[in-house]
Amino acid sequence: MNRRIHVLVTAVALAAMLLAACTPATQAPTSPPAAGGIDCMGAKSGDEISMFYQWSGAEETSLQAVLKPVVDACGIVIKPTSTRDQALIDTQVKAGTPPDVAFMNVTQLTQYKDQLKTIDSLGGNKANYASFFTDPGTVDGKWLGLPVKADIKTIIWYSPAVFNAKGYKVPTTWAELDALVEQMVKNGDVPWSMGFESGDPTGWTGTDFIQDILLVQQGPQYVLDLISGKVPYNDAGVKQAYETYGKWAKDPKYTVGGAQGTLSTAFLDAIYKPFADPPEAMMVKQSGFAGGEVVKKFPDLKYGTDYDFFPVPGAQGLQGGADWLMAFSDKPAVKALVTYLSSTTGGVNWAKASFGVSPNKSANGNYTDPALVKFGDALANTQGFTPDIGDTIPGGFGKAEFTAVVNYVNGKDLDAELAAAAKVQAEATK
Amino acid sequence: MAAQSEQVPSIMRQGRLTPWLYLLPALIVMTTFIVYPGLNTFYLSFRSNDATGWASENCQAGEPCWGLLENYRYALTSDIMLTAFVNNLKWILLMVSGTVLLGLLIATLADRVRYEPLAKAVIFLPMAISFVGAGVIWKFVYDYGTSQVQIGLLNGVVTALGGQPVSWLTEPQINTFMLIIVGVWMWTGFCMTILAAALKGVPTENLEAARVDGANEWQVFWGIMVPQIMPTITVVITTMVINVLKIFDIVYVMTGGNYGTEVIANRMYIEMYTSLKTGRAAAIAIVLIAVIVPAMIFNIRRFREQEAIR
Repeated sequence: MNRRIHVLVTAVALAAMLLAACTPATQAPTSPPAAGGIDCMGAKSGDEISMFYQWSGAEETSLQAVLKPVVDACGIVIKPTSTRDQALIDTQVKAGTPPDVAFMNVTQLTQYKDQLKTIDSLGGNKANYASFFTDPGTVDGKWLGLPVKADIKTIIWYSPAVFNAKGYKVPTTWAELDALVEQMVKNGDVPWSMGFESGDPTGWTGTDFIQDILLVQQGPQYVLDLISGKVPYNDAGVKQAYETYGKWAKDPKYTVGGAQGTLSTAFLDAIYKPFADPPEAMMVKQSGFAGGEVVKKFPDLKYGTDYDFFPVPGAQGLQGGADWLMAFSDKPAVKALVTYLSSTTGGVNWAKASFGVSPNKSANGNYTDPALVKFGDALANTQGFTPDIGDTIPGGFGKAEFTAVVNYVNGKDLDAELAAAAKVQAEATK
Repeated sequence: MAAQSEQVPSIMRQGRLTPWLYLLPALIVMTTFIVYPGLNTFYLSFRSNDATGWASENCQAGEPCWGLLENYRYALTSDIMLTAFVNNLKWILLMVSGTVLLGLLIATLADRVRYEPLAKAVIFLPMAISFVGAGVIWKFVYDYGTSQVQIGLLNGVVTALGGQPVSWLTEPQINTFMLIIVGVWMWTGFCMTILAAALKGVPTENLEAARVDGANEWQVFWGIMVPQIMPTITVVITTMVINVLKIFDIVYVMTGGNYGTEVIANRMYIEMYTSLKTGRAAAIAIVLIAVIVPAMIFNIRRFREQEAIR
C-alpha cells in the first residue's frame, strides 16, 4: 500500500515537472489564435461557470478537450460536478441554486422550462443544426436546449470476422434480417444478445429495440404521434412491435438465456457476448456507445474487422438521443460557452476530440475515428430522426414504458401492460 | 423569599424563559429538519404533481377521482402500490420473524460456548456494511449467467449439485424472498446483540433454581428466559417493524423495484425523482408515516413502561 502511494506521489511529481517544463511552449499556440472564431461575449478572465454533467473518465477528458479552446481564449474557469444522480440537480434547482450550465436529457428541458435561459439569447447559432435536432430542444416555442452530443440507437453491432467465417451476410431489408435470424437458429447459433438489467431504468434496451421495430413497421410519423399522444401506447401497431420483439427476447433459441437471460443480463454484459471467444451470440442491438465498450473490454479487437455495425435494416429514419446543454444563467461566460459550442469552430473541435458525434453540422467531415465517420455520415444523410419516446414524454412515462417491457418479457399479459403504460401516456400528454 | 434571592447569585436564578433557552437549539433543529419538512410534505400531498395547483388537477377524465385526495387514491389503490403493500407485508412477516428468531437463537447458543465473542462478531459483521454494499455483494451471490459457467455463488452451488441455474432476482415467485434473505443477513446481528444483553441480565439464581427443581434446558428457555426478556423482545420487534417498513436500499440496488419487487419507500423515490410527481410522492410518504407512527407510539410506550419498572 505504502509503496503504491510512493509510486503515485512520484508520478504526480513527475507529471507536474513535465507540465512545468511544457508551460513556455504553450505560449506559442499551435492551434489558430483565439481570434480565430472564438467570441468571448464579454467574459472576463477568471469568470466561473458551475457545470453539471454525467460524463466521467475518458468522456470527461474528451469534454475538457472540446472546451479547452474557449477556456484558454477567454480565461473562463469551469467548476464541474460529474454525477449520474439526477436527484442532485433536481434538489439544486428546487432550492434556487442551480448550476450555471447542465448537460442533461431532453426530459429536463420540459421539467426546468421556467428556469432555463433561451439558447438564442445566449448567442446560439441555429443555422448549424438540423430542425430535427432543434425541435426536441424547443419547449413552448422557446429554444431551451442546445444538443451537443448525439448518439444513434438504430444500429446493430456484429463481428464481421464471425459473419465471414459462418457465411452470414449483413441484411439490407427487414425480411433479410428475419431470414438471417432464422438461418442462425437453424445452424445452432444464438442470433441475439439482449440484456435489460440497468438498476432503476431496467428495460431501456428493450424499449429502444421496440422503437426501432416501430420505425421499420410504422415509420417515424407514427413514433412522433406516440410522443404527442395522438396514438395511444396500446395501439395495435405498438402491440405488433412488442410481439415481434417478444418472439426473440423470450426464447432461448433466439436470445442468450431466453426471457430470464434477457431480464437478468446487465446491458453492458449483453454488449460483450457477440465479441467473446467463442461468441455467445451473433448480434446485439445497441446505440453507438457500444463500440467504445467493446474495445474497453477487448482491447485487441479492431473496428471494421472484429466489430462493426449496420443500421437496423428497413428502418425509416433513425432513433437517437442527444445530450443537451441547458443554461440556468446568462452571464457572459455562459454566453461565450454557448456561442463557441454552436459555432463552426465548436463543431469542428467536437469532431476532432472524438467525443461521439456532434449534432453541429460543421462537425461532419472532421471525424478521425472510422466508426464516428460512419455515424456522422448516417446522421447527415438521415431522412428522419426521432427522439426516444420514453425520454421525451414527461411525467414518468419512461418508467412506465420500461415496466411494460420488463413485465411482458417476464410473462405478464401484454394487453394489460400496454394499457397501463397508455394510461400514463394519456396523463402526461393531456 | 427576599433572603433566599440574596443567597442565590442573580445569574443562576431561572426565569420562565431560561428552560426555553436551553431547549432552543434542539427546537430549531427539530423545526427545521423534522416539523417543517413534515408539514410541507403533508401540504404537498394535496397539491398537483408539479405543486402548482390542487391535487384534483391530476384527475383523468373517465378514471375514478378522489378530488383533493387524488394523490391518496394513487397511493392507496393503484396496482403498483398494492404490489408494494403486499411486498412490505411479506418483508415485515419474514424479515422481522427471521431476524428476531435467529437473533434469539444465536444469542442463546453463543452464551454457552467459549468462543462467544468471535461467534457474535461474525454475526454482527454485516451490520458494518452499508446497505448498498450488501446489495452489491448479494447481487453477485444471486448472479444468473447465461453461459455454462455460473459466477454467482448460489447458482454455482445449484449447478454443482446437478440442478438448473435459476434467475433469482427476476422470477416473480421467489425474488422478494431472496431480497428478504439479504435483509435478514444484515439485521440479525442487531437483534442478537440486544437480545444477548437482555439474556445476560436474567438473574442466574432464577436459572439455577429452575435447574435444581429439575427443569430441562428447553423448559428453562421458554419458562424463565423468554418471559424475563419479553419487554426487550417486544422493543426489538417494533424497532425491526419500523426498519422494515422503511426498507429501500436493498430493493433499489438489487432490482430497482422491477420484476414485482416494489416496496413503498422505493415507489416514493421513483415518483419523486424519476417520474417527478411531487404530489404522489408526498402522499406515499404520508401513508408510510401513517403506517409507521402506531409502531413508534407502541415502542415508546413499552420503553416508558420498562423505565418505570426499573
